[in-house]
Amino acid sequence: MESNFRTGLSDFYCFFYCMGEKWKIKADKYTGSNNFIKEGEQLENYTKYQLKSNEELSSLLEGKDNLYVIACNKCFKEFDAIDEPDCDEFLKFAAEQGKTVTGSTKVDFLCNKMHTERKLQDLLPEGTENVIVISCGLGIQTVADLAEKPVYAASNSLNYRGHHGMALTKKSCDACAQCYLNITGGVCPIVDCSKSLVNGQCGGAKNGKCEVDPNKDCAWEKIYQRLAKQGRLEEFLNQPVQVRDFSKVNFKVINDYVKSIREDRLNGYYGGVHPSERKEFSEHIALKKFPDPKTVVISMSQHLGAPANPIVQVGDLVKVGQKIGEASGFISAPVHSSVSGTVVAVEPRMHGTSGREVMAVVIESDGKNTLHESVQPHKPLEELTPDEIINIVKEAGIVGMGGAGFPTCVKLKPAKPVDTILLNGCECEPLLTADHRVLLEYADDIVFGLKAILKTTGAEKGIIVIEDNKPDAIEVMQEKVSTIGNMEVFVARTKYPQGAEKTLIKRVMGRKVPSGGLPADVGVIVDNISTVKAISDAIQTGMPLVERVATVTGEKIKNPGNFIIKIGTSVRELIDYCGGFTDDDVLVKMGGPMMGFPLHTLDVPMMKGSNGIIAIDTDETKEQPCIKCGRCVDVCPMELSPLYFVKYAKEENWQAMKDKNVMDCVECRCCQYICSSKIPIIDSIKAGKNAIRGMK
Amino acid sequence: MKMKELFDRGEFAVSAEVGPPKGIHVDELVEEAKTYLKGVHAVNVTDNQSSVMRLGSLAMCKVLKDAGMDPIFQLACRDRNRIALESDLLSAAMFGIENILCLTGDHTKMGDHPQAKPVFDLDSVSLLHTVKLLESGVDLGGNPLVGEPPKFSKGAVVSPCSDSVDAQLAKMERKVAAGADYFQTQAVFEPEKFIKFMEKAKQFGKPVQVGIIIPKSAGMAKFMNNNVAGIHVPDEMIEELKADKEKTKAGITGVEIAARIIKECKPYCQGVHIMALGWESKIPDLLKLAEI
Amino acid sequence: MLITQLKAKETITSLTAGKKVFVINCHGCKEVHFPEKEAVELQKELVAEGNVTGIVTTDYICNPENMELRLKKHMDKIREADLVLVFSCGVGVQTVAEYLEDKTVCAACDTYPVPGFQGVTPLEYKCDQCGECYLNLTGGICPITACSKSLVNGQCGGSKNGKCEVDSEMECGWERIYRRLEEIGRLDLLKCPTQIHNFATDDDVK
Repeated sequence: MESNFRTGLSDFYCFFYCMGEKWKIKADKYTGSNNFIKEGEQLENYTKYQLKSNEELSSLLEGKDNLYVIACNKCFKEFDAIDEPDCDEFLKFAAEQGKTVTGSTKVDFLCNKMHTERKLQDLLPEGTENVIVISCGLGIQTVADLAEKPVYAASNSLNYRGHHGMALTKKSCDACAQCYLNITGGVCPIVDCSKSLVNGQCGGAKNGKCEVDPNKDCAWEKIYQRLAKQGRLEEFLNQPVQVRDFSKVNFKVINDYVKSIREDRLNGYYGGVHPSERKEFSEHIALKKFPDPKTVVISMSQHLGAPANPIVQVGDLVKVGQKIGEASGFISAPVHSSVSGTVVAVEPRMHGTSGREVMAVVIESDGKNTLHESVQPHKPLEELTPDEIINIVKEAGIVGMGGAGFPTCVKLKPAKPVDTILLNGCECEPLLTADHRVLLEYADDIVFGLKAILKTTGAEKGIIVIEDNKPDAIEVMQEKVSTIGNMEVFVARTKYPQGAEKTLIKRVMGRKVPSGGLPADVGVIVDNISTVKAISDAIQTGMPLVERVATVTGEKIKNPGNFIIKIGTSVRELIDYCGGFTDDDVLVKMGGPMMGFPLHTLDVPMMKGSNGIIAIDTDETKEQPCIKCGRCVDVCPMELSPLYFVKYAKEENWQAMKDKNVMDCVECRCCQYICSSKIPIIDSIKAGKNAIRGMK
Repeated sequence: MKMKELFDRGEFAVSAEVGPPKGIHVDELVEEAKTYLKGVHAVNVTDNQSSVMRLGSLAMCKVLKDAGMDPIFQLACRDRNRIALESDLLSAAMFGIENILCLTGDHTKMGDHPQAKPVFDLDSVSLLHTVKLLESGVDLGGNPLVGEPPKFSKGAVVSPCSDSVDAQLAKMERKVAAGADYFQTQAVFEPEKFIKFMEKAKQFGKPVQVGIIIPKSAGMAKFMNNNVAGIHVPDEMIEELKADKEKTKAGITGVEIAARIIKECKPYCQGVHIMALGWESKIPDLLKLAEI
Repeated sequence: MLITQLKAKETITSLTAGKKVFVINCHGCKEVHFPEKEAVELQKELVAEGNVTGIVTTDYICNPENMELRLKKHMDKIREADLVLVFSCGVGVQTVAEYLEDKTVCAACDTYPVPGFQGVTPLEYKCDQCGECYLNLTGGICPITACSKSLVNGQCGGSKNGKCEVDSEMECGWERIYRRLEEIGRLDLLKCPTQIHNFATDDDVK
């Protein structure tokens, strides 16, 4: 792994990508001191507990037998060992004391109640009388809450002053609710001074060291020096007398917060994150037809599965809607021309999301947009049979337009009976507003498309799922479906990755797609809003999928907007049309900030799955060691433990990765987004998945 | 005289409570105490009661002692750490104060300095333990005291009408184990609850003084029901206070009620502790009516 | 991962009055709590006054290495400012203050403790890291954090209807402990010796 790389994010979207030369930021002019990270500085080990002493343990175990031992693998320490030694130490001690141990287990993040609850089910063997927990007080309390047996702690929490941050540094904060850093030059008098004095030093320091601990610098001497250096001594001397207010920490407020954030986190499904939405750039801008491009580059690979085979040659004249690529397998899709004109090339061209050259048909438009003869309205929906509809969808080259690109006709013929169709109008990615505009401006088409899907699949009900950050769309759709018996609108509290199939099903239906399963396994099909609009078009006008709605946005785009864009239009044209970038320190992505693909060049064409182009601020970070902060586990909607994937990928231990269910990962990137060490977790996951696929 | 000796002699021990003023003039309070508290054995002096800052309990105890009364020095753990508590205990012993009452204390947020740092270094149980240690000639740090160690009659409190009376009994047991010699209770308005409580509490073999508050009005009763832990004034009593406004205003109804409660409880306990809350002047009438 | 609340507006404006300000927002623990809307509003006002040299929104500024990498590209704007105003928890402010040693770095937020912090997720219960776990005596309910007074020998008697005297919405920790001990048949634990809290356990941490 490179030690220093660019991460693509605006502000704080923390994804890692190697960037093309073109996007390198200007050389940094800062020449200030760079001795901030001192050579050889050790990470703090904030591990939270130590085993009680033998005397304490023997008195604890007196009269107790048939023990089950649960040990936490610790957190906030460098992730160097999978298992911590304390459990084995305790087991040895218990054996020496002649105790019967009914079993033992080592658990990550014991205080993660959801995970722990699941692990504890049926864990305690018959005959267990006492549960011994080795963990900090939180883990012990969690188990004590869940286990029906008496629970005892075999460890003491270590006594640290204050709360540390999400990095293993010495800085800590006592959370006093009355921050004094503004008068102390940013050195905390509450934590750093043994007496937490707030008006100056006590006079007990000797040689600059604290009277309580000769290894500790006197905080007030540090404060004095800092203020002197900044010329702020006068300011300090003029401060009024400080009197601490110990009533500031209002536990009710805190408890309410914690309750609400836990509810948010567990709302509908476990995990997920809530990045800043920033949809205000474009959500109120009406759709506009993007000016016809002179040239389109239509990729033969705009879907999951085998690329289409080009069926035109250089020099051929083609019309709008004419098939130019034939599906080449069961999981494949045909491709059509989005303009009328002349084929000028059939050759590999740079592909937006795969990062390499892929076969494409390049067409020079004649500007006339002459329709191909095959583009004819079909029979009314009432007269079409399910098979006919599936055929229309197939021939129109319709694929999942939320980004995945799975051929829709395959989905419409599920192996198992389905009762519900979910239309995904969540658009949970920040910034993007394409589906939002489609909902607002093509509500009738969506209803029509949903009707067609219901008819095709025989499902009883269609549910349009919209996040609560789009109240106008909710209102419009609610009105449209109010008179239709088998359709309804479901309003979901905004959370990412709501739109992922499995989470959406869990959220709306409360059904859990089994590991390795498909939505149809639980009787559901999920389709994207734009896909349904395309189905409607294909039936009503006969037009195959040759254009789509996409958002061009981001804080670095001069004039954001939502456009109806012909497939094959160059990203460069879109950017230019929107006024270009505000400055050249920019990262461009196809898709949203969470799951979008960083573009190495703007000369790539828009595809069926391209719901947006975003231009955002760059970010530069360096991968830090995993510190077991546990946040990836806290946010993974698939309830996995992403930190292990990184560790195992480094060891190329693919079997272990498989055992940790890496194949269930939907690559939503919540883990990478939240990672406090900026680890490109998804890279490890992808490597693991590829290796595991190769194992078969 | 030590409370313990009083109980040992089989006396029905009577104590009353005074709260030091928020200021330095105590003459009036001493005069009142001299006048109205003649019939009581000992006078409790509260320690920044309800977390409201006042003149110190220890100083007030000394003044009362000089005036010929037997003070009970209340110590709460809210405002002092173990060093200050132990030091104050030694000071009290030096002044000849023989009785103490160990309390945890209300939280700082309940009083007139809600911004203050609550200490609670020790609590009522560990404070009793500490006193016992001092009496044995060692402080909590394990260091020997110089000379004769102090001796106290160590009081503690319990709340017999609490909604969690079992937990109260458990704590009472802990206090006994830690060295409590006698108990004063939270104010009782439901004698039947108190009697039930005493049936269980007698196993500890420690004298208990029933706590009495003279109900001043229906409003006060309701206020206590809503705000004071371990106190419940039954509806009939509130009705009684409402019935004859004149009598209630003059304090007669309240005194009658309080006397009745004392009489009902007396066979089951070893003393009474009166919290007059400003109505010290009614104490002589109350004791007379209660036939003490 | 701490809860932050914006300081009073007057406090912040008294810091910024007449000064050129560079703003740093830390969203690292936003999933826990960050007063995002309030911060944006306040910053809009500061910008309107024309004294803001730049605003960056980043995450985990408590991680010094990445914080440094990210601030570097804004260094000219930081230099231009008289004051760096940090919207983060106290750890973040201190980390920035150490890096920008010759700048006045101020906190725009107050930091509140979040229960469960010592672990990985916000929780309804806390561990105060007292260094002498009492959970074995209390049926697994922490008396240090579940009791407003952190009593270790039983309840204070101040609870009313099972609620704490300090907060009528908080259950009395010791009543909960009593019930739990009753449920698991361990009321005998209440007969343990008098407990005296040892406040010197931080010696264990080297």
